Amino acid sequence: MTIGSPDSTVGIEDHPASAEPVRTSAMPHGKSPSRIAFDRLRKDRIALICACVVLFFVLIAVFAPVLANIEGQDYNVFHTDLVDEYGFPTIVANAQHWLGVEPKTGRDNFARWVYGARPSLIIAFLATVFGTIVGVVMGLLAGFLGGWTDRVISWIIDFVLSLPYLLFAIALVPIVESMRGGSFNLSPQDQAEIRFGVLIFVLSFFGWAGLARIIRGEVLSLREREFVLAAKAIGVPTHRVLFKELLPNLVAPIVISASLSLPAYVTAEAGLSFLGVGLVEPIPSWGQTIAVATNWFKADPLYLWLPVIGITALVLALALLGDAIRDAFDPKTRR
Amino acid sequence: MQWKRITAVAATVMLAAVACGSPSSNSGNNSGSQGDLGGAQEKATDATAKGPAADVDGAKKGGTVTVLSDVTPDTFDPTNIYYTDGNQIGKLMYRALTQYRLDGDKHKPVLVPDLAEDLGTKSADGLSWTFKLKKNLKYMDGTPIKAADFAYAIKRSFAHDLYDAGPTYQLQFFKDGDKYKGPYGPNGANYSGVETPDDSTLVIHLAKKFDDLPYYAAFPMFTPIPQAKDTQKNYEQRPMTTGPYKVDSYVPGTELKLSKNPNWDPATDPVRHQYPDAWDFKFAQDTIKAQRQVLASSGPDANSLNYSNLDVSLLPEVKDPSQLVKGDSPCTITYTMDSRRIPLEVRRLIAKAYPYDSWRKVAGLTPADAIPASTILPPAVPGFEKFELPGMNGTGKGAEDDAVAQEVKSELAKLGKSNFELQWYFSIDDKISTQVSQLRQQVFEKAGFKVKPIGVPKAKIRTFTGNQDAPVNIGKTPTGWCSDWPSGTSWFPVLFKSDAIALGNSIGQLQDKALDAKIDAVADKDPNEQLKEWSKIDKDVLENYLPAIPLYYSATNSPIGKNIGHAINDPTQGLPEFTSIYLKQP
Repeated sequence: MTIGSPDSTVGIEDHPASAEPVRTSAMPHGKSPSRIAFDRLRKDRIALICACVVLFFVLIAVFAPVLANIEGQDYNVFHTDLVDEYGFPTIVANAQHWLGVEPKTGRDNFARWVYGARPSLIIAFLATVFGTIVGVVMGLLAGFLGGWTDRVISWIIDFVLSLPYLLFAIALVPIVESMRGGSFNLSPQDQAEIRFGVLIFVLSFFGWAGLARIIRGEVLSLREREFVLAAKAIGVPTHRVLFKELLPNLVAPIVISASLSLPAYVTAEAGLSFLGVGLVEPIPSWGQTIAVATNWFKADPLYLWLPVIGITALVLALALLGDAIRDAFDPKTRR
Repeated sequence: MQWKRITAVAATVMLAAVACGSPSSNSGNNSGSQGDLGGAQEKATDATAKGPAADVDGAKKGGTVTVLSDVTPDTFDPTNIYYTDGNQIGKLMYRALTQYRLDGDKHKPVLVPDLAEDLGTKSADGLSWTFKLKKNLKYMDGTPIKAADFAYAIKRSFAHDLYDAGPTYQLQFFKDGDKYKGPYGPNGANYSGVETPDDSTLVIHLAKKFDDLPYYAAFPMFTPIPQAKDTQKNYEQRPMTTGPYKVDSYVPGTELKLSKNPNWDPATDPVRHQYPDAWDFKFAQDTIKAQRQVLASSGPDANSLNYSNLDVSLLPEVKDPSQLVKGDSPCTITYTMDSRRIPLEVRRLIAKAYPYDSWRKVAGLTPADAIPASTILPPAVPGFEKFELPGMNGTGKGAEDDAVAQEVKSELAKLGKSNFELQWYFSIDDKISTQVSQLRQQVFEKAGFKVKPIGVPKAKIRTFTGNQDAPVNIGKTPTGWCSDWPSGTSWFPVLFKSDAIALGNSIGQLQDKALDAKIDAVADKDPNEQLKEWSKIDKDVLENYLPAIPLYYSATNSPIGKNIGHAINDPTQGLPEFTSIYLKQP
């Protein structure tokens, strides 16, 4: 008689006494928490609608030049013959200018609107990606390594959170400009692009610290759990423990944080541009348009409504989507 | 002469912040603010004018007028006032040696004696002026006004480091003006430039001839100040007023409250009235909000006014055209080109390519506050004669027209100046400035120029554009000019002579000995003979030198509440005239 290998066909289902709970057929075993969350999300109608809205804006931003081309207009061309001598547009909307023209300059509203979606989305996505990566790495390191690493990183987090971010955004522009050779050697386009870069940097620089704190706290509680201790005991290298053992358990807070920071960055960009410390001409942005259009809201309401609707729809969709994602990952908060 | 320059940066002109006080004979076209320019009139004085001022028809006494102002005058110290709004408000509080009376339907300004009996008597050599003073006049607290107080006020104006915003002609023209540093120093009491032989005579001694002194004497700087009451920088809190109103309270930057001065004697004042009981100036308001409030005139807002030009976006909200005060102001705005860096032929091509009509729209100017210009001298200055050089009347499409663009391009090539580079500063954080810069860039590039716009912060742009040797060739300040009083002497010698570069006042940085000589020849003539000559110089400068393209003459267009009566434009300041305003239903 030989001692055979364990019967590989013996499944968990055949051993009701095993430690694993019984599963229904609708929830086959082996599903990861992310997969479960994604399934929940797919059943959430609001989440689906919001995702479609976000996708719609992403497509508009990506295909802005194509859309402007179809209309046959350029966002930067002045049509002063389409405004009267007091600056009021003489047309509301026509086949050439689908959504009319700006007061005073006569630039095309539709082209500026589709191009205006670009900075909002680019800044929000880049700042989110950067902030999330840095925040997660810093949080993991601080929480897992502890000791002086933790103390240094925690101190940096506190320091960043204590900096006044508006002042930082204002002060950084001239510094970067002088590093690039001073305003004298830069074209208006260069200067506008510098502000674009500075805005991404400022938003991500101030965005990672909050996430790093959350991750650190999570890691502190996770690192004393058995599976981590076991991994450490059998000599798994630190980076493997961090990224293979801990990270998968942190997906929920990371996804939630990222999905909630997207709309926050869209509003932050628009807000800073509205205040005049964000983007400047010639880059079109919704925040800038709102700043000018508030003076015209009685005379030319469409001019103001376009960017307002754009920002509101995008931020609302992103925020609701973020909420839905959080609910999906963390069913305890389900309402 | 030192002339306060206009504070305009290219397109954004806050007229209320322009320093000038010219009596500028109005062209008499208050209704015609649609570009209709009348002819010039002689400068007018009336040395025998007596008070009281003729009553305004239907005027009622009582009530409080509220002024909702988006601009904030930096000072109400009589020595320090130079900006037009400070001058206009100061007129309610301070009487000076002379003042302007606005005559007739056209509100033509006439220089009349105010606290003086006459407009001054010049000595034979022209270096001493004697003013006879009216007797038995009192400050608001009942103390008598003495001749020594006038002398002290003049001495005080020499402390220019303390009152650094005030006018400075006295430093250049009065005796020892370059050495005397005001009454506060160790030797301050000894100044030989002013004398008071008796209690009703004031003698001013000059270092060089200054025939415009009676006009200068209308500045609030020439109001009496008792030495005992002078608290220097704090004087504006409790000034000794001589006009129809006195200061109740003043919070700098926020609010000024005035009430009736019981010791103001209307019988001695040929200009002012005292219809409202009180004035309440509220500063630092939001422009759009304040103007909307004034136009809507609901409740107490009917008694309010705003003295900035109406924001163009509010035009549809003007239901009653009489709610706008319209008229001329003594300023011309130009597009300056550095003649040392751009050859004359290229300057002419720039003038040809300039997109006047589009620029006016993008810059937010309207026919109501910017009248297309074809001359340097504005219609408000005597001696103005309307002329138009071909293609230079402040209107047109310029190189936006393809044919013109091609023509300019080929002529540039003919001159061997293809891709001639034009450089200018603009405010990167000001939307109008950046849009205007984009427009110019597009049009000039189309016409075959190379362009280099340089974005600088709005807060610093005047430092850059004010530097006469800045490394750009377009748009150096002064880009606009307002006269302090009505004469070509306040324009051409100041702006176009070679020495203007050193004074930082040069339009176009001209350095031409022949032009200097021509200007000097006219300036040496009798003031009345000069009148005909300045227009010739004007034409000569534009035809043969073209240091700047005239863009527009500024005009007043400010909103008033429905209950405000007799709101007329004061063409000497380009603001509503305050001292004859009344409330229809107090």
